[in-house]
Amino acid sequence: MKVAQLATEPAELTNPGSPAWAEVPAIEVSLKPVALAAQPVEYIRETWAGRPYGQTSRATVSAATARDRLYVRVEWEDDEEPNREFQDAAAVVFDGTGGDVATLGSAAHPVALWYWEHGRQAPLHLISRGPGVVSKDSTGAPTAAAVLADKRWAVVFSGPAGGVGQRRIGVALWNGSNDERGGLAAVTPEWLPLESERGV
Amino acid sequence: MTTAEATTTAQNLHQLAWVFDLNKCIGCQTCSVACKVLWTRDDGEKHQWWCSVNTMPGLGTPKAWEGMGGGVDMATGKPRPGHQPTREEFGGGFDYNYYEVFYGGTAGKAHLEPQAPRENRWAMNWDEDQGAGEWPNSYYFYLPRMCNHCSNPVCMQACPTGALSKRGDGLVLRDEEVCMGDRFCMEACPYKKISFNYDRHVGQQCIGCFPRIEAGVAPACVRQCPGRAVFIGYLDDKSSKVNQLINEWKVALPLHAEAGTGPNVYYVPPLSPYRLNPDMSIDYETPRIPAEYLESLFGREVHGALATLKGEMDRVREGGKSELLSTLIAYHWQELLGPFTVDPATLTPNGNGNSQ
Repeated sequence: MKVAQLATEPAELTNPGSPAWAEVPAIEVSLKPVALAAQPVEYIRETWAGRPYGQTSRATVSAATARDRLYVRVEWEDDEEPNREFQDAAAVVFDGTGGDVATLGSAAHPVALWYWEHGRQAPLHLISRGPGVVSKDSTGAPTAAAVLADKRWAVVFSGPAGGVGQRRIGVALWNGSNDERGGLAAVTPEWLPLESERGV
Repeated sequence: MTTAEATTTAQNLHQLAWVFDLNKCIGCQTCSVACKVLWTRDDGEKHQWWCSVNTMPGLGTPKAWEGMGGGVDMATGKPRPGHQPTREEFGGGFDYNYYEVFYGGTAGKAHLEPQAPRENRWAMNWDEDQGAGEWPNSYYFYLPRMCNHCSNPVCMQACPTGALSKRGDGLVLRDEEVCMGDRFCMEACPYKKISFNYDRHVGQQCIGCFPRIEAGVAPACVRQCPGRAVFIGYLDDKSSKVNQLINEWKVALPLHAEAGTGPNVYYVPPLSPYRLNPDMSIDYETPRIPAEYLESLFGREVHGALATLKGEMDRVREGGKSELLSTLIAYHWQELLGPFTVDPATLTPNGNGNSQ
């Protein structure tokens, strides 16, 4: 996907509702549930067998760089009433070692996540070695800002740009209303290679 | 790790165990408060009671926890689905109208009241002393509960991040830095003794007072019990009181053993007065607490345990001696503490202390 190179002030881009994002090309992506068979523990595989999850099937994704930072905006429809126990969440998934985005990485090929969850004080930088098999990494902490309007979430993540042209990303979404957490997510089944574009 | 593997591993461990004597528990909540003031006073912990005492029969904490599933299907060895207790089901953690009562000039008019809607209020021991049965045969008893530090900890097996682990002394502990707050552990635990910290997004439960254990001090729930009703020790130590009560005298039983997790908190089941007939004569055949109710909690072994206790009491009444009753009476207070006899008041910053 194209990554716009902007001279915009970062404060503008971190706002998901900023008009600056209207100028950035966006793509529609399809998402699928992370496979039940890939879930890491028997308890989850047994108790979620036959129970749908990861049903958020579409999202709109756009990306831009400004001042050595990468900004990724993810927008999706969420028309369910909030759940008081589990919250909606989203992540941008980064490939680093040839990992599989569809399983959120593996022990041999971990992936990195910029993870945002509604209600959490701060987004997290996670290393994922499979669905829900994550560890917190205090380095490279991302920022995130989110808006829920007209039953649509829009979240803007940002972090160090780090050679955008060589990176590829995925998107994962958790529907809190359906008790989704850990590896119970919808995810883009294929990587989206980032392609740097000069100007808009 | 499969259930079978976890069980095999657990069987090789040194295992700490607790025994609560329900004939001596007076429901004073000193154990609950001793735990509370030590461990759950930070942000997001106001509603948490890692040790709680509830009136039984009762709905308990969290509300109606006995119907929330979890544990292991003993026939298949597979984990059973469980419900994750919600914030409302735990209840409590209320704010109170302290200012209005103490400083508001409302003497005689205002009284302390939780600042929460009256409907569906719930909290630890909310149904205190309600019990069951009809006068003159009403009955209840108190049941202290905490993490069972199970030999087959399904919480650990359900966690995708590996935040939970079982130590060499059998305590099941959580690394809060690793916990992501997914709460599969709360679903899987059949005892529903894991709480959630909504401020810090981590599960939390009894830590067995491990810093005290490591310094030779008994856990707060044990040491502070004014009724001398709680024992601690290593299950595999033949000389320990917990081993004697559980394995030799067989008067201490696990709660809901059918959940399949190998709990390591045991209970001496409650004896009860006999029922009264309508003419107020005594029905010597029927204890007031229904045997089937106790069996539902402690299994069929409860009948043998109660028979042993009665037999020992009869012997003492006839002038004999009973080592079992002497142990349960706890003439020697230190015996409750197992190897953890250091007085916490004598601890120095480097962890040394004196037995008292």
